[in-house]
Amino acid sequence: MSSSSRQAILAAAATVALAACGGPAPGAPHRQVGPNPYLPDIHQYLMPPMKVARIVGWSGGRTPIVAPGLRIQALARDFRAPRSLYVLPNGDILVVESDGPPAPVRRPKEFVMNWVEKKAHSAGKAGNRIVLLRDANGDGVPELRTVFLDHLDHPFGVVLVGSDLYVANTSSVVRYPYQTGDTKITAPGVKLTDLPGGPIDHHWTKSLTASPDGTKLYAGVGSNSNITENGIGAELDRAQIWEIDRASGAHRPFATGLRNPNGLTFEPTTHQLWTVVNERDELGPDLVPDYLTSVKDGGFYGWPYSYWGQHLDPRVRPRRPDLVARAITPDYGLSSHVAPLGLVFYTGATLPPQYRGGAFVGEHGSWNRSQLNGYKVVYVPFAGGRPNGMAQDVVTGFVTPDGKAYGRPVGVAVDARGALLIADDAGNVVWRVTAAGG
Amino acid sequence: MSSDTPRSTARISGHPIHPMLVPFPIVCFVGTLVTDLVYAVTADMQWANFSAWQLTVGLIVSVFAAIAGLIDALGDPRILRLRPAWIHGLGNLLALALAVVNLLVHSRDAYTSVVPQGLLLSLLVVLILLVTGWNGWDLVYRSGVGLDREERP
Repeated sequence: MSSSSRQAILAAAATVALAACGGPAPGAPHRQVGPNPYLPDIHQYLMPPMKVARIVGWSGGRTPIVAPGLRIQALARDFRAPRSLYVLPNGDILVVESDGPPAPVRRPKEFVMNWVEKKAHSAGKAGNRIVLLRDANGDGVPELRTVFLDHLDHPFGVVLVGSDLYVANTSSVVRYPYQTGDTKITAPGVKLTDLPGGPIDHHWTKSLTASPDGTKLYAGVGSNSNITENGIGAELDRAQIWEIDRASGAHRPFATGLRNPNGLTFEPTTHQLWTVVNERDELGPDLVPDYLTSVKDGGFYGWPYSYWGQHLDPRVRPRRPDLVARAITPDYGLSSHVAPLGLVFYTGATLPPQYRGGAFVGEHGSWNRSQLNGYKVVYVPFAGGRPNGMAQDVVTGFVTPDGKAYGRPVGVAVDARGALLIADDAGNVVWRVTAAGG
Repeated sequence: MSSDTPRSTARISGHPIHPMLVPFPIVCFVGTLVTDLVYAVTADMQWANFSAWQLTVGLIVSVFAAIAGLIDALGDPRILRLRPAWIHGLGNLLALALAVVNLLVHSRDAYTSVVPQGLLLSLLVVLILLVTGWNGWDLVYRSGVGLDREERP
């Protein structure tokens, strides 16, 4: 063996070792917040960073940190993975406890991924049920806590229209009869429609809302993969917002190309549908920005073929230039990998004036970025029904100084007294944010 | 003539372990090239998944094959004096390193898990295996490494 060929082999080994780690350093997230986020070049990893904050839980009276002028308290604790919240007209609060179905292993990679992602969730088993909290006097201490609806199939979205309460399980929308003041539903539900569920069910949370006139339901149906790696056939009827006719259960795609739309809600002044969307992974620490957007009827938002308008994703074949040509650029970037899962417009009157009329977004937090991003609740100011200005941190302090997490914020809601509620599915707490001294 | 050819040290009742194991990675890595090519043409994910599994199995078994081979190489000083032994050993080490990188490339999602880097690495590995395999055959069929020539009653 000559020394030159030995050197060549050593050099090759060193190249391999260098290429295996690294990737570009994450940039400052604020450059990707707003209507024109900075979009760096694509970087495809050999080893994508998998940095999930290990859950340590809240202890010793510790709470998240709120912006000046606000106060935060636990409304209730000891839940089993509270993921989303819904406030009934009488002020009762529904807490949806849920987790994802078991992830299948179709490739060697998924052995590793499933193991890493397990760390990002609390150890206990999710309830897969809905718990009702009643805080009639609004003091932040519920007088009543009951299991409202049990034995559900990975539920997430809830909406009440008249006396019909709809629950979006991961594979169906089910209707239950509800009368004001009910604390428990025992009647069997009636299925309105199936939703795309297993066997893969990669993005399983089905967000749900109703049109202002109550005739239609809107369900967010996330994609069945990061970027079609489970085959395009697995994406049938997915990465869409479904419009479901409440009378017949028939559905049509209201908007498509939305990788994982959550937090569906109508903006109260313009009555336009808005959503927060979890964008694709493994194109770098700062691609692709997750976003908040209004949803146009018939609109295509890019997934899987392109992102942020017409930026092509090299990982998708066959290409669809016809679809890319009409891909809509989202309204407002939230920065990359923050995982927005909750959205609520603030229509209350008790929080300080700067929080009126805009949107609170619950950012569950990143799991594949070397510097954590998200893990907070932000406020996006609105004017004239459009985002207007820089998002502000409202609730932070979910992450420890050494990169572990006390909890993770998910669903957000506004209660009858105008307080902001936050479901923390890793800390197993529902937090309540009020005006300081209020 | 009992031991005029180099001995195999890692063996089971006279049968060298290394040649029993190497068919697995060879078939897996050649198979990876085939399924990568089919994926590149069809963009049907089952072929890319097939490649990822073949790479994984090939790599796991090749580690044991490499250990057995290394034990043989160090077990009889005459082996290291054979030029084909060095080409075989170091070449396969390079192929192994490239296969590890290839597995990482194949852990990407969808098209770029194969095209172009995955496909190129799969091809490189097979080309290296042709050279190292040729030299491996030299070791056995020309230099008689691991032959069991002890006369039996």
